[in-house]
Amino acid sequence: MDFGLTDEQRALDASVRNYLRDRFDLTAVRAVYDDGEGDGHPRELWSSFAEYGWLAVTVPEEHDGLGLGILDAQVVARALGAGAVPGPWLPTVLATEAIRLAGSPEQQTAWLPKLAAGEAVGTVALDPPSSGSLRRVEYGAVADVLVVADENGGLGLVDLGSAKRRQVEQYDRTTRLASVDLTGETVEPLPGATPDVVADLLRRAAVLAAADLVGVAREALTRTVAYDKERVQFGKPVGSFQALKHSMADLHVGVTMAEHAVKYAAFAIDTQRPDVELAAAVSKAKASDVAKQTTAAMIQYHGGIGFTWEHAAHFYFKRAKRLAASYGDLAQSRERIASLTFA
Amino acid sequence: MDLSFTPEEEEFRAELRSYLESTLPAEWSSPGYWDSLDRFEAFEKRRQWEAEKAKAGFAGIAWPKEWGGRGGTEGMKAIYDEEMTRARAPRGANQLGLTYLAPTVAVLGSEQQKRDIIGAILRNEEIWCQGFSEPGAGSDLAAIRTSGVLDGDEYVVNGQKIWTTQAIHGDKLFALIRTEPGSQRHQGLSLMLMDMHQPGVEARPITTMSGDQEFGEVFLTDARVPADANLGGIGNGWQTAMLLLSFERGASAFGMYTAMRQQLAGIVAAARATSRNGGSAADDPVLRQELAAVVTELECLRYHSFHVLSEVEKGRDLGFEASMTKLQWSETMQDLFEVFDDLLGPNVTVRRPFGAGADSSGADITDLAALQNQGLYSRSVTIWGGSGQVQRNVVAERVLGLPR
Repeated sequence: MDFGLTDEQRALDASVRNYLRDRFDLTAVRAVYDDGEGDGHPRELWSSFAEYGWLAVTVPEEHDGLGLGILDAQVVARALGAGAVPGPWLPTVLATEAIRLAGSPEQQTAWLPKLAAGEAVGTVALDPPSSGSLRRVEYGAVADVLVVADENGGLGLVDLGSAKRRQVEQYDRTTRLASVDLTGETVEPLPGATPDVVADLLRRAAVLAAADLVGVAREALTRTVAYDKERVQFGKPVGSFQALKHSMADLHVGVTMAEHAVKYAAFAIDTQRPDVELAAAVSKAKASDVAKQTTAAMIQYHGGIGFTWEHAAHFYFKRAKRLAASYGDLAQSRERIASLTFA
Repeated sequence: MDLSFTPEEEEFRAELRSYLESTLPAEWSSPGYWDSLDRFEAFEKRRQWEAEKAKAGFAGIAWPKEWGGRGGTEGMKAIYDEEMTRARAPRGANQLGLTYLAPTVAVLGSEQQKRDIIGAILRNEEIWCQGFSEPGAGSDLAAIRTSGVLDGDEYVVNGQKIWTTQAIHGDKLFALIRTEPGSQRHQGLSLMLMDMHQPGVEARPITTMSGDQEFGEVFLTDARVPADANLGGIGNGWQTAMLLLSFERGASAFGMYTAMRQQLAGIVAAARATSRNGGSAADDPVLRQELAAVVTELECLRYHSFHVLSEVEKGRDLGFEASMTKLQWSETMQDLFEVFDDLLGPNVTVRRPFGAGADSSGADITDLAALQNQGLYSRSVTIWGGSGQVQRNVVAERVLGLPR
């Protein structure tokens, strides 16, 4: 029995976090944030991701990847959430997973090495489209390849080289969204996209989004606790008041449970445990819930400063809102859990 | 990560499961059985069955053999908790002795005490009660006032203990007593090992709001205890008590998880048998969302138990993190029964709102009265063993490091 991460996984965690601390801290995030017209895709950061292998985690070794699993990938996702890091890591990894799981050998050879090396940016649109135009594709404006869900429950691949896309203005600028017009574009089916494979892909998306959310939640709580140890009102640190203590104790329990849930779900995906579907839905439901609560508490327990543009609380708050609503929102995740409970 | 048990542990599970199947009478898990018995008769059955189980080697699972334990692993203990609940085995008759006193004696007791006390607990020859709380000392344990005054080589004890689990069935009492007259707070206390079968000790049951009498109070009027019947030394009672309470730490919640899964199954069956909005309550989207929120917390408790077990196996002291385990299971249990209340609707306070028989899914819903009782009982779990508010203080101050 061992619920811990391996030494290699801990080292991966340390390498991402150390890199972000030294080379892409919240000052760098802010520069991207304040540049609303920009594409939100810092190229130097991306090159480093590629150089360190963080885009290649789940890519098989024969396609120049590391051949690891979701338990390893969630380590990276969590660190990126903690840093509120912009850039198309998550959509690229999800496109990579789709091509790895459902692509033909030719499609894999064409795309996996490029995606693993950061030479191409990938993205996904996993909700079936209602028309030829997709409205909110993450990093759709800079992506080279798109994996899109089709009306029949399968998946298709689109080389976005000539597609018309337009960046969508939005609140959470730790990412960028774009509308993508697929009219006239060639959609190449991914031949292995059976219902089981698509369900597996959706679970991977949910768990990696959940991992980012617990990274956000843990960082938000840590920063809030640190601030409230120092902030003095009524002659005492505000963190000594029981109203705040009890609330933060509840948040700590919640964030810890969400961390366990993400680890368990990632492991369940990698080892195909029988309760994998429940585990994925539980991890997304719990992480979404707790990240929203914790980031809202971060604003509240910083007082007025937490509501300002100059403070980082809104990076976390908005990122939590977006990811909580993506890849299965709270109500959808809970309905999935209910249907498994009543099965 | 590796969540498998070893082959030896799985073999233990199979042995235990077969032992439980062959020794637990079927009627014991039938609805209402235990309530139909006289409470002394019910206790005696539990006590005897458990003593036989100990003889068969299924007690003190992770204790060393030198204390009379099985010498098994922490994994086996977790399996034991899970399987005992799964088989609906009766609650332990000597839980306070097993969980708290025996390991404390093993650390602090004299050789004589180890020989006299530990084996007798395992064999249920002596049922131990805990004498900590008093009417004026609940969450604030250091406020205890029960006094012990030295008279020759005995202490004469006067005072009142309360919330004593199974007080009316007790043979012995490990009691925190102020043996130094006039001492304050954590000073001057001793953990005394008292005989409850003496004229100065009177145990009375307390009837709780769910109607049961699990707890009691113990009145001590010139009761006597030999001065050397102490654990950890006279005047060191607070330290002994803290060590004793620390043995709750590291307990994984697999047993609690399994019990709540059984309760959930009853609630799911009840939902299928309940009409709502012209259909089944099982199809009510609001109820489904509420229930899913509880299942989310319940599953998190299971993942947390893997974490706890894994840390304990690595020899790490989980320290104050145990408060998180308590908060997670106790709050989840209450939330589960809140959903049950919402399901019952206007039947919420009606005893046995469903007729006997199976619902459309074939699941047994005849035990709903027991579920209702458990729902009422769940209101106590955030009070005993450190209230939810005390646990939050512990998490905030000892885990997060917020200032006092």
